[in-house]
Amino acid sequence: MGNLYYNKTAQWAVYVVFFAALGVVPLMVSDSFLLNQFATYGVYGMLALSLSLCWGFGGILNLGQGIAFGLGAYGMAMTMQMQSQTESNPIPPFMLNNSLESLPMLWQPFQSTTLGLILAVAAPTLFCAVFGGIMFRARVSGPFFAIMTLAMLSAFYTIILDRQAYTGGVNGLTPPGSFQFGDFEIDPYSPAAYWVVFGFLMGATFLTKLITQSSFGLVTQAIRDDAERVRFLGYSVAGYETVIYTISGLIAAVAGCCWVMLVQYVSPAQMDVSFSLSIVIWAAIGGRHSLLGSILGAFIIQGAQSYLGDTFLATWLLILGGFFIVVVRFLPNGLASLVEKAFGLFERRDPTSSPAPDGGRPLPAE
Amino acid sequence: MDLSSLLNALILGVSIASIWLIAALGLTIIYGTAGVINMAHGELIMLGAYSSYMLQFHLGLPYLLCLPASFVIVALVGLALERGLIRYLYNRPLDTLLATYGVSLVLMQGVRLIFGSDPKYLAVPEIFQSNVMLGSVSLSAFRIVVVAVTALLVIGLWLLFYKTRYGVQVRAVMQNKEMAASFGINAGRIYMLTFALGAGLAGVAGALFGVLAIVLPTMGASYVVQAFLMVVVGGGSLAGSVVASGVTGELQSVFAFFTNDTFARFIIFVLIVIFLRFRPQGLFAQAGARR
Amino acid sequence: MKLTRRNILKSTVAASAALTLPHLWLPKSSEAWGATLKKGEPIKVGLLFSLTGSLAVPEEDSTLVMQYAIDEINKAGGVAGVPIEPVIVDAKSDFAVYSEKAKELILRDKVIALFGCYTSASRKAILPTVMQRDHLLYYPTCYEGAECTQNTICTGPLANQHSQDLIPYMVQNFGKRVFFVGSNYVWPKESNKNAKVWLEKAGGELLGEEYIPLGSSEFGPVLNKIREANPDFIFSTVVGASDIAFHKQFKQEGFKVDKMPIASLTTGEIETRAMGAEFGAGHFLSAPYFQSLDTPTNNKFVESFLASKYGKNGTTHYNMEETYTSAYVFKAGFEKAVAAVGVENVTPRIIRDHSGGIRVEDDVSPEGLIWIDENNFNTWLKPKIGQCQADGTFKIVKAAENHVAPDPYSIYPDAGICTKDGLKAPDGKIRKSVI
Repeated sequence: MGNLYYNKTAQWAVYVVFFAALGVVPLMVSDSFLLNQFATYGVYGMLALSLSLCWGFGGILNLGQGIAFGLGAYGMAMTMQMQSQTESNPIPPFMLNNSLESLPMLWQPFQSTTLGLILAVAAPTLFCAVFGGIMFRARVSGPFFAIMTLAMLSAFYTIILDRQAYTGGVNGLTPPGSFQFGDFEIDPYSPAAYWVVFGFLMGATFLTKLITQSSFGLVTQAIRDDAERVRFLGYSVAGYETVIYTISGLIAAVAGCCWVMLVQYVSPAQMDVSFSLSIVIWAAIGGRHSLLGSILGAFIIQGAQSYLGDTFLATWLLILGGFFIVVVRFLPNGLASLVEKAFGLFERRDPTSSPAPDGGRPLPAE
Repeated sequence: MDLSSLLNALILGVSIASIWLIAALGLTIIYGTAGVINMAHGELIMLGAYSSYMLQFHLGLPYLLCLPASFVIVALVGLALERGLIRYLYNRPLDTLLATYGVSLVLMQGVRLIFGSDPKYLAVPEIFQSNVMLGSVSLSAFRIVVVAVTALLVIGLWLLFYKTRYGVQVRAVMQNKEMAASFGINAGRIYMLTFALGAGLAGVAGALFGVLAIVLPTMGASYVVQAFLMVVVGGGSLAGSVVASGVTGELQSVFAFFTNDTFARFIIFVLIVIFLRFRPQGLFAQAGARR
Repeated sequence: MKLTRRNILKSTVAASAALTLPHLWLPKSSEAWGATLKKGEPIKVGLLFSLTGSLAVPEEDSTLVMQYAIDEINKAGGVAGVPIEPVIVDAKSDFAVYSEKAKELILRDKVIALFGCYTSASRKAILPTVMQRDHLLYYPTCYEGAECTQNTICTGPLANQHSQDLIPYMVQNFGKRVFFVGSNYVWPKESNKNAKVWLEKAGGELLGEEYIPLGSSEFGPVLNKIREANPDFIFSTVVGASDIAFHKQFKQEGFKVDKMPIASLTTGEIETRAMGAEFGAGHFLSAPYFQSLDTPTNNKFVESFLASKYGKNGTTHYNMEETYTSAYVFKAGFEKAVAAVGVENVTPRIIRDHSGGIRVEDDVSPEGLIWIDENNFNTWLKPKIGQCQADGTFKIVKAAENHVAPDPYSIYPDAGICTKDGLKAPDGKIRKSVI
């Protein structure tokens, strides 16, 4: 018998329990602020999950996850903004201030909610597929790819700032009303909004889990550990990397849509380097090789930021930075590796099963 | 537009390039030698500015002496950082990126606690507060100082790496750490000194930037990404960073001349991505470097 | 073994449930703020400013001066006999955190009004929440206008008030040719549109218009363009750290302040102190308030504020003064609302509805009498022009004779007029909550 941490049945059981626990929250919490806040954490969890997939399981450190998130968020904000425009008042107020007379081409599709939603998710996904495809075929990897994503993120950030007439510039977009889907209006403070985010988070987690356990996922993990060997075995490394990067972008784009639904706001700050770095922090602290660990990492850090940030006003960043240093230094695989080690203590020493030697061993799924 | 204004833009480009370069110098040798991606580099620049401020404000040190003093102070900080944290992470390059990001948060908040979040300023001699006219071309005296200091540092580094025993050792460790060790070179010590040197260079940059702009706890954040791009485009070598900064500075100045500053930045970022697509190893990658 | 795993899980779930437990007893608050003030409890107001990060420089001062104002009001007997209690949060210079904290203050702390924000971006980030809960935001600084909500009261100058005197003054004293420089976002662009109107009236000529990315400290290219255009003066809407870099490099590049001064909408006492007075001296600023304003009220305000525990930063400036008067606008509005509906029925919206026309008199307002417009709820004030002196203080060279009316849509007459109930388009239709 091996470490229970790697037992697939146990892993799925934990997932079920975890989501069951999250699912009953609206039944217990009637404070609408809290519900909205928890839902926002769910979005951050989704982001950490997406990074865990591409970094922890694909070996692609992406410092520009904010691109997919931000593009998705802008798509959603444009859709919601157009929902509040009427016949007599066809274009958003900020465009008038920028001397636009009519709705620009870029905005036309967002007049339709369905088309807008599709675009909000499809555009960032397509971007990831194209950008990833080009880069991975050129065998850009490791720190180089990380820096490229950083440059790309900065490029998006600057252009959105500069094209104020189309994007609202620094102020971003502020759709005045809640998101309406068909006849439903999703009040961001309602349990409905929570359920939507919860549903997407659960769907994304299960999808990701299935991917990592599939043979496809095993190949990406092999690429993470040694891309050259996998290439010699005849796999298309670039193809696998592109797919995993694109799926990760897709999840981040969905997270972006959910986020705007909850906060009714998006600005270039969501494409700032520091935001993308904090996604990396969540995944790293929770444990990038563990999907659940990453999600919990986001919950812990953001929760602590909200609740301890004001208490330790002056020292909060010191605490966060220090905590982060300690985790990277002593727990390179995040808090999840503590759980792994804890279960390792129960592991029955069985001479017939050959445990992988310690250190540098390739990690199985979770 | 006439020729003289274009000439002005080109000369300004040299100045912008020197700013990009001096911000990237320390990062270049740290990354080039040890492969460490130091996200706290911007905060080391910030520390340089604050050390100059402190020396000037509390000890009344003249500005020109603040430059070497900042070098020493920040180099010591770098040394402590390397001994306390970085040396445990050399075989995990992506983790150095993460850990140093944590360091940058700590440094930023630490400085804010000590000095407060209101901006400080560095006083410079009156002679640096004017400009020099050469025909129709104008340059500020202080920008000339920045270009000169940058040039001196580049020459100094070149001499250090190619004309001294330490330089030979550094290059040996860069090419093959184990082999170098078997010849009796203490790789750990080389890394430590190089990291301190790189940090010190950031300190000098900070002392200069504090005069051009503003001394704030958050001032470093704006330099780190562009410094990184220079290092990666250059391929981690000294010559690479010089060329990369030179080209980027000129392009930035010329684009800003024809369009506006924001759009110029956008073009630069896109060009960098396109360039790295075709040459991911950068301009001058070191032969035999382990990557 | 599975049991062990489950046990651990159970206890984890239980632990996390325990963490959330205290909130279970909170009353349902999904409705608009409608809770009544209870006897013996103070009035809670939210102070939503950044105490850390890049916006902390101006906003920390706002928090301090607001606490000072609240102390002062409480010492004098409070508002309608009830003391005010500030709920202070830190928005960390992060627009997403502004949004989160606004929700927290409104929904959880149930404050009756918010005082906060320094930038349009953070204001826009919290406005959806404020409008949806029909709440009330006191926005205590200048902004660009072109907004018509039923939930804000602004005590700073609008773009139309800001440059009305400054541009003609500069044209008269220095010449007609002007160059516009601003940070690249909405407030400088809108301010420049207004300035162009005044420039045309004054017979001036616009030579060029440049925008710098926010936070950028490289002014070389812009200064080259200015050198080439050789204007008589520069009109600047550069903000924050960039503004300081701009003034320093202006001098370092050899520009002379007496030949080509900068007329700014932002460079006040705090900025001048940060860059060193030698870089600020000689330039001009338009603001409704200067620390050097020589009136008994202001002298008393400066003296007692700097002596108080909140005056540690050693300066007062226009932004702080606008924050200070907003506390008195709130006091007057609240008391009027109480007189009209009784203390137990006061809601943020009712305060707002009773705030039109409120005056803060000479003996309270350091900048002199101001009052709130009955239609658009911005402030009637007297813009003043100050010239920075060698010691970093400002000498007032011109003060408006009459109060200037705030007009959020002055350059967009087609959009309509902002009224109490919403934006009234030329065809008579009224739209609420236009942002």
